[in-house]
Amino acid sequence: MTETTEPLLAVKQLSVRYGGIQALSSINLAVLPGEVVALIGANGAGKSTTLRAISRLIDVADGSIIYDGADITRARPHQIVRAGIAHSPEGRRILARQTVQDNLRLGAYTRRDRKQIAADMDAQYGLFPRLAERRKQIAGTLSGGEQQMLAIARALMSRPRLLLLDEPSLGLAPLITAEIFTIIDNLHAEGVTILLVEQNARLALAHADRGYVLEAGSITFSGPASALIDDERVRQAYLG
Amino acid sequence: MRGGALVAPPDRQAGVDFSQILQNILNGLSIGSVYAIFALGYTLVFSILGIINFAHGAVFTLGAYFTYALTGQRFGFNGLLSNTALPVALPFIVAMLGGATLAGLVSVLVERVAFRPLRQRNADRLLSVVSSLGVAVILVNLIQYLVGAESYSYPSNPFGLSKPAINFGSVERPIPVRSIQIVIFAVALVILLLLTLAINRTMLGKALQAVAEDLTTARLLGINTKRLIVLTFFVSGFLAGLAGTLVGASQSITGPYFGITFGLKGLGVIVLGGLGNVSGAVLGGFVIGLAEAFVPPQFVQYKEAVAFAILFLILLIRPQGLLGRTQVQKV
Ligand SMILES: Nc1ncnc2c1ncn2[C@@H]1O[C@H](COP(=O)(O)OP(=O)(O)OP(=O)(O)O)[C@@H](O)[C@H]1O
Ligand SMILES: [Mg+2]
Repeated sequence: MTETTEPLLAVKQLSVRYGGIQALSSINLAVLPGEVVALIGANGAGKSTTLRAISRLIDVADGSIIYDGADITRARPHQIVRAGIAHSPEGRRILARQTVQDNLRLGAYTRRDRKQIAADMDAQYGLFPRLAERRKQIAGTLSGGEQQMLAIARALMSRPRLLLLDEPSLGLAPLITAEIFTIIDNLHAEGVTILLVEQNARLALAHADRGYVLEAGSITFSGPASALIDDERVRQAYLG
Repeated sequence: MRGGALVAPPDRQAGVDFSQILQNILNGLSIGSVYAIFALGYTLVFSILGIINFAHGAVFTLGAYFTYALTGQRFGFNGLLSNTALPVALPFIVAMLGGATLAGLVSVLVERVAFRPLRQRNADRLLSVVSSLGVAVILVNLIQYLVGAESYSYPSNPFGLSKPAINFGSVERPIPVRSIQIVIFAVALVILLLLTLAINRTMLGKALQAVAEDLTTARLLGINTKRLIVLTFFVSGFLAGLAGTLVGASQSITGPYFGITFGLKGLGVIVLGGLGNVSGAVLGGFVIGLAEAFVPPQFVQYKEAVAFAILFLILLIRPQGLLGRTQVQKV
């Protein structure tokens, strides 16, 4: 990454309120093309809120969100997906009543290139063989790990340039978590830009280029992932 | 055929015999298919928003009046539009589709006025009961203000059928079924088939199922949920308007309150089938239609009660309705 690279995503002075509660206070963060950036912090720090603001599920009180040079602060959620941002949300939110296959197909809802969509579905099944075996299964009957894989695969079906991942390791056994993070590494190597929210800070920083620490709605530390891992204050607060 | 005669006149001569039963079944299927179309409109909106649109019956009524106007017939002696007629006289089928389209547009307007403002404020869903009932009252009063309270009839034999009735039996044991009921049944079947295919086989249908299951997820998939909700209200109103015209063609438009009993019965139908369930609405429509068709002629004035008696009995056994799940799903 050189200094001259324009960020793919720039969040500037972003504030979000839920009614009277200030969830984010003037946060700044940037994600460069091809980077994996980790956003870490305690419960309730505002990590999911940041992702929800970027994908426009909640309204922004103040500040702006610039994606690929365009201001998307007031865009509608479906326009965000079309612009190339995919969000695998907290709690996975797969469509429990539809099949694995239909979930994936709906991930490509904004696309019209049928042949490429079919090829991409096969690519997802290659990436997640467990899903391939279960393509006709009703998604609600998948295990937690399989649902997480489906949530990521579904997000990838829109061919995003920026992938927002909210707690991909939540509730998963270590083995499955490792599997998921291997896939994140592979996506990184392929050049997909990722903003990764995790409570498991050590894991997230180990797989990221840079990191931000969010505390009670404000960013308190940021820097290269390796520097954050070595930082005494971050170690004490988040790495145990 | 005289008023109230969606069901063919009963065979006077015999008691219960096979041909009578067959005739009842055919009549029941015909009226049941109209209930099904009407109830589908309710159920589509319910499955997407989890609310009941109490203005649905009023849209049914409007659809019937729109069709009447589009056929170029003159309105009566009362109301603002007394003694006026449109300068065009469309063929009945075209007028029917036009009437249904206009009803669909009114339904979109109902969404704008009665539902969207509440949704955007995250208001309690119960409030939309009040707001949609309010819109229903306004629409009914508006009709009365414009065209009075009298009843209107479409041109006789609106579909241009060559025979008023078709005999499904033999010459000795006739089982006459009115041709218009067969047309109604056919129209309803086509609609049901198209809708089922659209919901289960198209991307739009899958997107609709996604909206029904989880609005947030639907947004994250890139679905324009606002537009889909508008589309759902349009289709719902279209179906209501179509049902209104079909019932009007079979009997007559009985006045501004035309859709009220029908609307209540439609509610019964969707509760019976399982709220928000597409196949449930269809099944519920046929169950109620058939049950009514078997009401003996001497009790015909209690026909309306039959639907609700059945509803009551079935819900005692299956509180979730016949196919009780609460969302749009595979048929
Ligand atoms: N819909 C809401 N209404 C009111 N307050 C909310 C809402 N959603 C989140 N909050 C509040 O905003 C703050 C930030 O929440 P957020 O979900 O972003 O935290 P988080 O960092 O993702 O936490 P976790 O690690 O537990 O997922 C919390 O104090 C939370 O209680
Ligand atoms: Mg969170």
